[in-house]
Amino acid sequence: MNTSSRQSILERVRSATETAAPARIAEAYAALPRDYLRQGAMTREACLDLMIERLREYDAEVVETSPEQLLAAIRAQLETSGKRIFAAPEGLPSEWLIPGLDWKVDRGLTTAEIEAAEGVVTAAFCGIADSGTIALHHSPAEGRRVLTLLPDWHLCILRASQVVETLPEYFSRCPKPPALATYISGPSATADIEMTRIKGVHGPRFLHVLLVHDESIFKVAIRQGVDSKSARSTVSDGLPALPGTPDEL
Amino acid sequence: MSSVVPDRVVLDPRFAPPFPQAALPVLRNPQLRKNVAHAIDVIQGKRGKLVAEKTDWQALRTAASAIRSHALENLGAYLEQFEERCTAAGGIVHWAADAGEARSIILDLVRHENANEVIKIKTMTSAEIQLNPFLEANGVNVFETDLAEIILQLGEEEPSHIVVPALHVNRSQVREIFARRMGLKNLSDDPKELTNAARTYLRQKFLTIPTAIGGANSLIAETGSVAVVESEGNGRMCLTLPRTLITLAGIEKVIPRFQDLEVILQLLARSATGERMNPYTSLWTGVMPGDGPQEFHVVLLDNGRSSILAKPKQRQTLKCIRCAACMNACPVYRQTGGHAYGSVYPGPIGAILTPQLMNMEHAQSLPFASSLCGACYEVCPVKINIPEVLLELRSQVVNQERRQAGRIFDPLYLGLRIANFLFAGAGRFHAAQGLGRIGARLFTRKDGWIHSLPSVGAKWTQTRDLRGLPPQNFHEWWAARRKEAK
Amino acid sequence: MRASLFITCYNDTLFPETGRAVVSLLERLGVELEFNSQQTCCGQMHANTGFRREAFAQAKRFIHIYRDAETVVAPSSSCVAMMRDQYPGLIEELGDEALRKEFEALLPRVYELSEFLIDRLGMEDVGSYFPHRVAYHASCHGVRALHLGERPYRLLAKVRGLELVPIPNADRCCGFGGTFSVKNAEVSSAMLAAKLQDVVSTRAEYCTALDNSCLMHLGGAMHRQYVGMKTIHLAEILASSEADNERFPVEAIR
Repeated sequence: MNTSSRQSILERVRSATETAAPARIAEAYAALPRDYLRQGAMTREACLDLMIERLREYDAEVVETSPEQLLAAIRAQLETSGKRIFAAPEGLPSEWLIPGLDWKVDRGLTTAEIEAAEGVVTAAFCGIADSGTIALHHSPAEGRRVLTLLPDWHLCILRASQVVETLPEYFSRCPKPPALATYISGPSATADIEMTRIKGVHGPRFLHVLLVHDESIFKVAIRQGVDSKSARSTVSDGLPALPGTPDEL
Repeated sequence: MSSVVPDRVVLDPRFAPPFPQAALPVLRNPQLRKNVAHAIDVIQGKRGKLVAEKTDWQALRTAASAIRSHALENLGAYLEQFEERCTAAGGIVHWAADAGEARSIILDLVRHENANEVIKIKTMTSAEIQLNPFLEANGVNVFETDLAEIILQLGEEEPSHIVVPALHVNRSQVREIFARRMGLKNLSDDPKELTNAARTYLRQKFLTIPTAIGGANSLIAETGSVAVVESEGNGRMCLTLPRTLITLAGIEKVIPRFQDLEVILQLLARSATGERMNPYTSLWTGVMPGDGPQEFHVVLLDNGRSSILAKPKQRQTLKCIRCAACMNACPVYRQTGGHAYGSVYPGPIGAILTPQLMNMEHAQSLPFASSLCGACYEVCPVKINIPEVLLELRSQVVNQERRQAGRIFDPLYLGLRIANFLFAGAGRFHAAQGLGRIGARLFTRKDGWIHSLPSVGAKWTQTRDLRGLPPQNFHEWWAARRKEAK
Repeated sequence: MRASLFITCYNDTLFPETGRAVVSLLERLGVELEFNSQQTCCGQMHANTGFRREAFAQAKRFIHIYRDAETVVAPSSSCVAMMRDQYPGLIEELGDEALRKEFEALLPRVYELSEFLIDRLGMEDVGSYFPHRVAYHASCHGVRALHLGERPYRLLAKVRGLELVPIPNADRCCGFGGTFSVKNAEVSSAMLAAKLQDVVSTRAEYCTALDNSCLMHLGGAMHRQYVGMKTIHLAEILASSEADNERFPVEAIR
């Protein structure tokens, strides 16, 4: 495909620079200065508080819950949304498909069907507290990209153990670079008219996050005001393992 | 008032008037200056707070500068790696030596789809190659999907900023454009309502037009992935809904690894819009079966970049990540806005990039469109020493102009050459000072000041007085004092 | 302590009172001053306008004249910035090894006035008295090229009787930019108008700075527009003492 331009461009580029052997390039890359913060310094508590604060700054609704309370929390979110038709990724845990609603599970939904959905429920890969960002890697539990784009209302289930403080920590969590990723920091916005930030141009205007405290039963108990004995008596690891998430690897 | 700027704005460096001339109508447009200053103040205010809270800001800049420099130093290898990985993932990579070739490649791809309309994500690179008029002329309807780009497209306007292209337009002007072109008679000028009008206008286009054209913020060599940073969601629409996606990107957009985004993404939104992170960042690799476009093309554009790469003092220009922090900080841009630069790349980066992309054959006034205050360098997330490049380009322009026949009579050239002669020896310098003092008396008024000068001097006295030359200058005073002491 | 004064071409010609103030001030502080009458210009005007060839010659000449000086002091941050920022590149291009060595030995000995006082003499209180309301304009070269930081403010804080008022948007360029002021006169004037608004809002009697270049641009507009404010180089404020108070009478208008 237009090999002559390819050749001439690469020739010009190569003659403009010193051509180093791959080993030298890798060496040079490894030696690049990286004195920025690679690791956060906050306690887990503070980090999660920050994540919640940043999400709320973006007008996302955040509700904290525990693994035991999760289904109830999901139901509450869906019922108060005023919506009935929800899209769901194929790999979403089936318990999360609360009965009594019109679920469109994506086993090859058409664009028109997704457009007709009023909301969507997904898991996530990671949350980055510093910027209130939710990272989706579009695994089966997170869904195809279009699924979190067309519906106007997005409920995201984010586990506390998935939340990190800084962006570099997210990158170090990726076992390998994802083929697909979407980083969401608040609902879509524009500031193109007189720099007035307007929420929701395209993409979901309403973002709801359920932050599931799955990290320590005691911590969950303290936050929720539940006595530790009863908390411990429930499911020990907190959540069903989600297909396609790091749990499985 | 239906028009935002009274004169027709030309953003083609080949035809645009020189900067001092192009700035005049803008300087006389208080509404435009107010719109620009307001937008800049908002961004700068937000940026300032976020930079202050980011304790490793300088370390991030150092890393970003090093990563970008390293990528440019090894551009050939990284470009080939990108091509290989992208192709392995199902993408098709094309190479365009110049704007004309890029336009042809893209038109061919669109025609191959039998498409007569495309949806587009904002990309300055496509404006650089003047893609839209070319496609339109060849029977393809182009629908811009960024709110600012819609405003500009419907209002038949030109962009004035690389991140907030319609920053020179205020809400009532937007209302007027939308009401007229979308046929919405009862539209108010409330930004929320205006944005809603755009959302409705575009929804069907997103859902039905199967061919999209966009750009790239970064091309990742390690994986063959592309990253696009946006706010509105129109990018995500164009990147996932159509059947065919065409991405146009300058060859300098390559970064070595996925991990390098951890540096760039922390700097980009804070610099561009004063946010910790922009609402949506999309990353994709080639073609993903069942998710998004099933045909994906990347058009890699040279268009003068390899020439810039070859020049050691100028190569740093290519580190640019198109954040616009420089123009937000620039006191010149603050007064003139973007149109005066006559290029789709305005402000400090435009002042160095535009003439270089034109191989120094056009836009020669741009390197001089700066007071060299250094604010741009201070804020540049990748540490491009813009003043250094400006100075280098100035000397290239002067070397070009010197060779022109009539130049010897140019008052500024004449004056500087005479000054150089005088500075070469104390005797001549002192003699000239004496003569100058006598000559200045002709222009010095009773109040001891000069109110009006001829020739180049008139440019000073247009708006400023100049104090008359003192009867005894410093070295004379020193000599006299020494004599007295003996 | 001996120092050689580099007055700068434009101060010599247009603002000799600044030079006289520097002499008065430094001698008062016990510095033995010398003045090499061979000096002309550092080359900044030519370098900044793209006349690099000419700038080479001027840079060489400067280095040659001052190579044996113990210290060099210049009441101009833009000229010192020229030497620190641009001379290295010019010298390298010339490819003259001997010159490069001379330059590298000389550069650490070149000081802008406020640097000389604070860093070299280790002084903040230089015995000044200037009972007026003053606004300090931080020139771009001083802020961004020389990183003067707090130095001028520390000096001003010790001037008895002086009331310092901050200028809003202090870091924004006044629009002089050397030949920019005539090559892009209208834009320069627009920047000047914005800066003037900020300076005038302080209701100061004097606007001071470390560079007469910015001051001649601001002062020129103040004079044209009958703005009731004067410009004065920082050296002249620092040189003022009680005995001088008659020369700078307190003005009734506040």
